[in-house]
Amino acid sequence: QIPNLQNGPINFTSIRDQSQKELLTILKNIRGKKCLVIDPKLGGSLSLVVQTSLLKEHGAELHHLNSDPIETNCTKVVYLVQTQLHLMKFISSHIHNDTSKGLQREYFLYFVPRRAVACEKLLEEEKVHNLLTIGEFPLYSVPLDEDILSFELDFSYKECVTDGDTTSLWHIAKAIHKLEFSFGLIPNVRAKGKASVRVADMLDRMQAEEPVNSTDMGVPEINTLIILDRELDMVTPMCTQLTYEGLLDELLHINNGAVEIDASIMGANQQDGKKMKVPLNSTDKLFRETRDLNFEVVVQVLRQKATSMKQDYTEMTTTNQTVSELKDFVKKLNSLPEMTRHINLAQHLSTLTSKPSFLGRLDIEHTIVEAESYDICFEHIEEMIYKQEPLVSVLRLLILLSVTNAGLPKRQFDYLRREILHSYGFEHMSTLNNLEKAGLVKKQEGKSNWLTVKRALNLVVEDTDTTNPKDVSYVFSGYAPLSIRLIQHAIRSGWRPLEEILKLLPGTHTESKRSVFANSPSFDILPGGLHMEKPQDGRRSIVLVVFVGGVTFAEISALRFLSSQEGMAYDIIIGTTKIINGNTLTETFMDN
Amino acid sequence: LLWKESWETAKNPMASRGSPLHGPRVKLIEKAQNLFAETKEHVFESKAAEEHAKLLKLQHELEVSTKQPIFVDSSISDTIRTCIVLGNHRAALKVKTEFKVSEKRWYWLKVFALVTIRDWDALEKF
Repeated sequence: QIPNLQNGPINFTSIRDQSQKELLTILKNIRGKKCLVIDPKLGGSLSLVVQTSLLKEHGAELHHLNSDPIETNCTKVVYLVQTQLHLMKFISSHIHNDTSKGLQREYFLYFVPRRAVACEKLLEEEKVHNLLTIGEFPLYSVPLDEDILSFELDFSYKECVTDGDTTSLWHIAKAIHKLEFSFGLIPNVRAKGKASVRVADMLDRMQAEEPVNSTDMGVPEINTLIILDRELDMVTPMCTQLTYEGLLDELLHINNGAVEIDASIMGANQQDGKKMKVPLNSTDKLFRETRDLNFEVVVQVLRQKATSMKQDYTEMTTTNQTVSELKDFVKKLNSLPEMTRHINLAQHLSTLTSKPSFLGRLDIEHTIVEAESYDICFEHIEEMIYKQEPLVSVLRLLILLSVTNAGLPKRQFDYLRREILHSYGFEHMSTLNNLEKAGLVKKQEGKSNWLTVKRALNLVVEDTDTTNPKDVSYVFSGYAPLSIRLIQHAIRSGWRPLEEILKLLPGTHTESKRSVFANSPSFDILPGGLHMEKPQDGRRSIVLVVFVGGVTFAEISALRFLSSQEGMAYDIIIGTTKIINGNTLTETFMDN
Repeated sequence: LLWKESWETAKNPMASRGSPLHGPRVKLIEKAQNLFAETKEHVFESKAAEEHAKLLKLQHELEVSTKQPIFVDSSISDTIRTCIVLGNHRAALKVKTEFKVSEKRWYWLKVFALVTIRDWDALEKF
């Protein structure tokens, strides 16, 4: 179920192997049988790094960490946790529970990715610190697929914009720096946004303190790093994604490269509401082919494939075949399970997307993005609140409306907030407060420059052809993500011609060249754009795009579309704090 | 700083939700309301806290009169719906006027509530 990583533009296998080795070393060093207690939040990322069978081979008995005491015969307990205070409470209560029963155990505590003073303080207060052997498991990034690295920082965006907590930025810089140890120092760095510029600064400092030795690595595999703040473009994640993978995430929620759905939808016979996990990554050839397409097209592709297979089958039964023809046919049959899987998934999605409520939602999103009929949008949201539709969906549209209008007029802002509190309860006051602090739903200040940005970057594209797309706007059937336009420009001509537009977006931007290669002539010709640098050995250079605050599947699809374009000299790989969609991102602002 | 402090107090009662001690909860919220009222920028928060306290008191009365512990901690809209579903239209109207619920929202709520209890007659009359 773990994706095969070898076919990507860059080989992430080494990253995964390294993490796996580090984890196994930890286990090996603790002799004998042990009970491995895992932070449930980490479970998903760990499953992408190491197979559970491998952990068992190393004598580990697996448990999830929660408040219940652990039932095990092992005398050694190993905790693997993120630095969360409530988890420390669980651990100390476990230990207290054991000592009260007179059980003697050895305890090991590994923080992922590194220890935190606050957590250890709490353990000291609970008087269990001296009973624990404490270590670190430096898991900074997890390859989700052959071109995506996730730093698995679920709350990064909210922490930065609402709480002013920038720990996650250090974590991102560290992850990139670690990457450089494997693939060489990245010579060109572009950053836009407050957080991104800070990451770039930290990266430079890390390089100064602990340099990547470039001489014995040869040419760096990654040529350019582009870092973007999610804050620059909050419009895109709030729109419903229309690519196959994006839609799967919107409607069924993809978690660590898999969706969990009712077995009955996947054609199983039992009706007992059993759930099953369907892995979704590029190892599945059919998914690799269809994931980035607009969903309308996916349905057509699947239909075509099914008909052609049926045709093959009838030919097979009516005429005599040579052995090699038979062989071909059997080969095609091998793809049958994949076909059934995606036909089932697509069928399920179709029933959901053909609902009037879904279509109505797309319509209103489009109207908000167009930003020409404010009153209609406002009334639509008002009515949603009256009908007490799910709060997340309401907030999502409200964010979209507020962001595209530089906030809401004060009277309406207060009015809608009051209506929300009345309809959903006063406990949501803190959610509204979080969103206001983050600048996502706020009082209007000044004039919105959304229309200018929209026009200058050609974000709304009429007559988008979803079947033979010529532009990234196909991923939202007519809206081209702002984030992707920025990357497009950065790659094509640099950001200099875009200066005026960049100024309208929050945060500063920097472009820098890292000095290590200053004496190597082939790298000396940056100014302006990247297009002047020709990849020397026929291989395409690689651009790493890092999203601080998360990225959606639709944006990833758009980037894949860009790299597949003719005349494109770069392969694009993606680093992100987390894969997000409008709902998951909005939920981080809601308490509990 | 004042704002933060008041915020904590406002949050506090919500953390202890479900506790039967309404007295101290309402007091805490009222305290928050006063703290919010001290700064100019937090008129909205202050009003919300005031309404919240009022709502809790009203819900408490409703629970006593209907002997059903289903009101506290539901939203204003939910309270109205519950009242209508229970057939207690007078109480519903009272909540409506008390919190100045707009006509539009009132109609939506009433329609939903009447549909829930399948009271088609009342729906038609209305």
